[in-house]
Amino acid sequence: MSLSTPSSARARPVGPAADGGVTGWQSAQARSGRGRGHRWRAFMWSLVYPYRGNRLLLTLPGGIVIVVAMGIGAAAYNTANNILFIALSLLLACLMFNGLLSWVNFHALSWRLRAQPPFRAGRDHTVSIELHNGRNVLPVYGVWFEISATGEKRPARLPLRERLDAQGTALLEWTLRPAARGRLRIELLSAGSLFPFGFLKKLIGSELKREVLVWPAPVAYQRHPIASWQQAGRMEPSVRPGHGGDLLALRAYARGDSHRLVHWKASARLRRLMVRQYAAETQQGFALWLRTSAAEWPRAEQFELLCSVAATMAEDLFRAGRLTSVAIDDEAPLPVRRMHDLERFLDRLAVVKPSVQSPPTSPGAPSVRRANVLTFAPDGARGVAAYVDGNKAATA
Amino acid sequence: MSMETKRPQLNLAELHQLKWALGGALAMLSAWTVLYMDVDAWVWLVAITVSVPVVTRWPVLALHVPRWAHRLAFPLFVALFAGDYYFNHEPLPAMIRLAMMLMFYRSVTPRKRRDDLQLIVLGLFLVVVAGVLSVSVAFAVQIVVFTACALLFLLVINLIDSAETGQVPAEVSAAAPPAWMRGEWSRLARRIHQATDWRVALIGTGVFGGVVGLSALLFFALPRFEIGNSFFLENMVTRQSKTGFSETVKFDDVTDIRQDTSVALRVEVSDRGAISANPYWRMLVLDGYENGVFSVSPALADQMRAQRRKAAQVSGSSRPRAGDAVWTFYLEPATTRYLPLLGSFHLLQFDGGPQEYAVNDELRLLRLEKTPVKMFAYRVEGMRTESALGAVEVLQPREVVPVYRDPSAEPDARKKSPAPMPTFLDLHLEEADLAKVARWAQSPAGMTEGAQAFAERACDWLARRHGYSLQVTLAAGDGDPLVRWMESTSPGHCELFAGAFTLLARSAGYPARMVTGFHGGSWNEGSGHLIIRNSDAHAWCEVFDPTTQTWVRVDPTPGGMAPGSKPAEESAEAVLARMRDTSWSGKLDGVRMFWYRRIVNFDQSSQVELARDAKNAIEARAKRLKEIINRRLAAISEWLKQPWDVARLVAWISVVVTAFALVLGWRGHGRLVWLRWRSGWNRGGVDPVRREAGRWLRRLEQKPDHPAGEEWTRIRADLERLRYGPREGWPNPQAAFRNAKRACR
Repeated sequence: MSLSTPSSARARPVGPAADGGVTGWQSAQARSGRGRGHRWRAFMWSLVYPYRGNRLLLTLPGGIVIVVAMGIGAAAYNTANNILFIALSLLLACLMFNGLLSWVNFHALSWRLRAQPPFRAGRDHTVSIELHNGRNVLPVYGVWFEISATGEKRPARLPLRERLDAQGTALLEWTLRPAARGRLRIELLSAGSLFPFGFLKKLIGSELKREVLVWPAPVAYQRHPIASWQQAGRMEPSVRPGHGGDLLALRAYARGDSHRLVHWKASARLRRLMVRQYAAETQQGFALWLRTSAAEWPRAEQFELLCSVAATMAEDLFRAGRLTSVAIDDEAPLPVRRMHDLERFLDRLAVVKPSVQSPPTSPGAPSVRRANVLTFAPDGARGVAAYVDGNKAATA
Repeated sequence: MSMETKRPQLNLAELHQLKWALGGALAMLSAWTVLYMDVDAWVWLVAITVSVPVVTRWPVLALHVPRWAHRLAFPLFVALFAGDYYFNHEPLPAMIRLAMMLMFYRSVTPRKRRDDLQLIVLGLFLVVVAGVLSVSVAFAVQIVVFTACALLFLLVINLIDSAETGQVPAEVSAAAPPAWMRGEWSRLARRIHQATDWRVALIGTGVFGGVVGLSALLFFALPRFEIGNSFFLENMVTRQSKTGFSETVKFDDVTDIRQDTSVALRVEVSDRGAISANPYWRMLVLDGYENGVFSVSPALADQMRAQRRKAAQVSGSSRPRAGDAVWTFYLEPATTRYLPLLGSFHLLQFDGGPQEYAVNDELRLLRLEKTPVKMFAYRVEGMRTESALGAVEVLQPREVVPVYRDPSAEPDARKKSPAPMPTFLDLHLEEADLAKVARWAQSPAGMTEGAQAFAERACDWLARRHGYSLQVTLAAGDGDPLVRWMESTSPGHCELFAGAFTLLARSAGYPARMVTGFHGGSWNEGSGHLIIRNSDAHAWCEVFDPTTQTWVRVDPTPGGMAPGSKPAEESAEAVLARMRDTSWSGKLDGVRMFWYRRIVNFDQSSQVELARDAKNAIEARAKRLKEIINRRLAAISEWLKQPWDVARLVAWISVVVTAFALVLGWRGHGRLVWLRWRSGWNRGGVDPVRREAGRWLRRLEQKPDHPAGEEWTRIRADLERLRYGPREGWPNPQAAFRNAKRACR
């Protein structure tokens, strides 16, 4: 069961996403990526055939205004009384201007969806909608967004509680807790507003979607005392960045880097700040081999636990600098040198399913005679045990 | 980069406070419309006027209304409404009082969203009903102000809903009032001032002006056609006439007539030359006199033939003539049911649709069945200004409706003959009074005088004995009060003079009658109409001259026209100049006239006329424009055809070169000059070019989907050099800004 909590908007400077986790900008008038000429044609066509999801609904005050206008209009035509015609004209003018101002409120307002991976099952993650008011003078009021994710019973509504000034940006955040691993689709369903007078509810359909992979949930496991855990090896420099003594590479300065790491000569040459990156020192590592045979893992909950244990152990070993390679079923082992390699493995774990047949042993599969191979097997009806070289190393 | 001060926003508590204030203002504005409706709702008006400002100022008081009062409120209002309707039998006033009750309750108790909407609907009901019943120009101002207030109210409600979305509203109680109820109003005013952007306020005001403009357009454009009959609301309110126009003239011992300068009648005429110098607007003829009261005798009343059909127009007794002016009358509400007229007419049309009326062609009188409770307009064609009423030109066949007499009430009704024709000679006085009057009316011994001579002599006698005054105290004594006044030398008003003359003429054997109506008026030059006020009410006489067989007008009041005299020949401009009203009230009256003429009386024919006028105006303008363009082209063509010489060529080339130089100069340097000049506007001394470059850089950053590539990078680099780099290394600012503008499109 996932929990999601809409939170209020904050108007604060928004920086670029680290890995992009952002959809393109969308506005009420034009879908993203289209040129100016196409926008005019699209606008004219939208007057005849509105965009999908665009709706104009009558609210209670709007209904009352229309009923009152109809009553006054009937009385006016019945009696040819110009006072009633004046009242009728004013009501109709108010209705028309409500529609116009509602359109103006959305004009030059653009938004995009930010869902920053990685997502882990069972943990809270923030999905945000970034708003930008492109107008020069007029602010934006009273807008809300409806957002939903796979597995959510009801879409959540994120309101813009305060004014969004001209040329300003705001962030509406939604806290999402995925229930299980897998593919999660986050979709911005619509933007709506009752501005200005609440006669009409204007809804703008949105096509913004983002698919993210949800990694398995971290799980607690118990390590058994085996020699491999305590095996002390020669500390060797690895090809991963770390805090060792060997210079690995130079890279551009990122916020948070220590000033002591700045390489001034390179910075002067390249006219940009460059910092030193040192290699990490590692101990002798483990190769993680995950077998997903359906015959071996008949229970779905146990299989999920397997994925969670594998993910958790892979992360722990990587953090300790002791994960050398990973493999799933009969695939060739993938070396794990950087965080990106681990993330790839976790992405695979997010979508892996029990394989129908037991895969035949291929020439590339790691031999059981190789040392420090971490494998997994069911432990009872519900548990999962990890083995290193045939010795039970951990249970969950 | 300069630091921009972020404008504060009103928080939720402040919005609630503002909403409360707007609700109070709306209630006050709507409640005071009751004054225009002549409905007895004083209790609730006073209650709202006293309590709403107090509760608006101290909202906490609203929480102290006990629970049982809330529970009993609506049953009590329903019971009061039912009782009101049962006892008074007038549904509309009862509904108005019910609306006032509900408005009072909603104004002094805490409101939720639906209560706010109810307040708006109640206010709209009161304002519209007041406008319909009064047709007053104040309605136009009221409805516009009400609309502005209501729209602002709805906007604030909407903003509160946005801010409160997803939150559970806290329970309000007197023990723990919400924060906004304890807020300071002066602080709210300051916060509103800080939070308001003058540009947004200006745009909002412009938008509201657009609403009013659009509604005006819709008002004129909505097609007009009438489905049903006259307006039903008029029949739901019983209104009393406010002015002194009753159908009797009574002489009391003490009279003190107040000068009422409010407008009774406005008259528009298509031909200003038709306006006479001294108009007498006839309304009512009083021929019976008894016990000190002039009234319409039963015989004369029978002469007013009631037309049971409802008709929108009445054919008169005069023949149409070429060049006849069209007179449009606008009679103020509740003035009288007798329509003021100068004399006989050819055609009279009621602007408000068919009316029940009674007409007498000989007397030149037209009477409505009911006194109009709102402004009443009628149009008269071919109206004659007659100082002497003779035989009618056209005898209209009027439907004679027999008066029903109940046989059981009058057993001898079959034998009873109809009321005799009025003789205009009846004198119901005691012997002593008759003798006195006869003595005063007696002509000098041996003198034979005609009616006109008698009239002059009688007027002269009255003028010598009595002055004019509105405050009259009759001498004490027995006998007829009018005769007592004639015997004294006290001053008197027009009714006394007219009544005295009537008695004298009848005593001398000349048929005479009193006529009441209006005399004179003032001319409003701005809107081009005559204004007749209640202070212009007048009484005069008509005496029958057997030699001419006409009823001659006699005005015995000092200063009135001499009997049988015709107005001096004056030009229309001279007449109007003499009558011109230059006071401020006259100017304001022009606004009211515009209101009645162009708005209240706007009908299908007015719409057609407006469309025609608009079409003609546009065609005329287009024609003029075309002529101007043709003239200019002809002049240019003529100039070009002239022989060319060196001087002309040089002049032409220099003009072209100057124009090009201006354009190129502006493109190259003008913007820089403009920016430098703008930097003198107290901007903290930052170089305008750097500021402009910063502005373009921000726009480029915020551009959602910019193309990557060399050009983008180059544009960005140029802007960064302008913003941050030394002046010596600047690229051309104009070119850089132009490229940035192109990239931002």
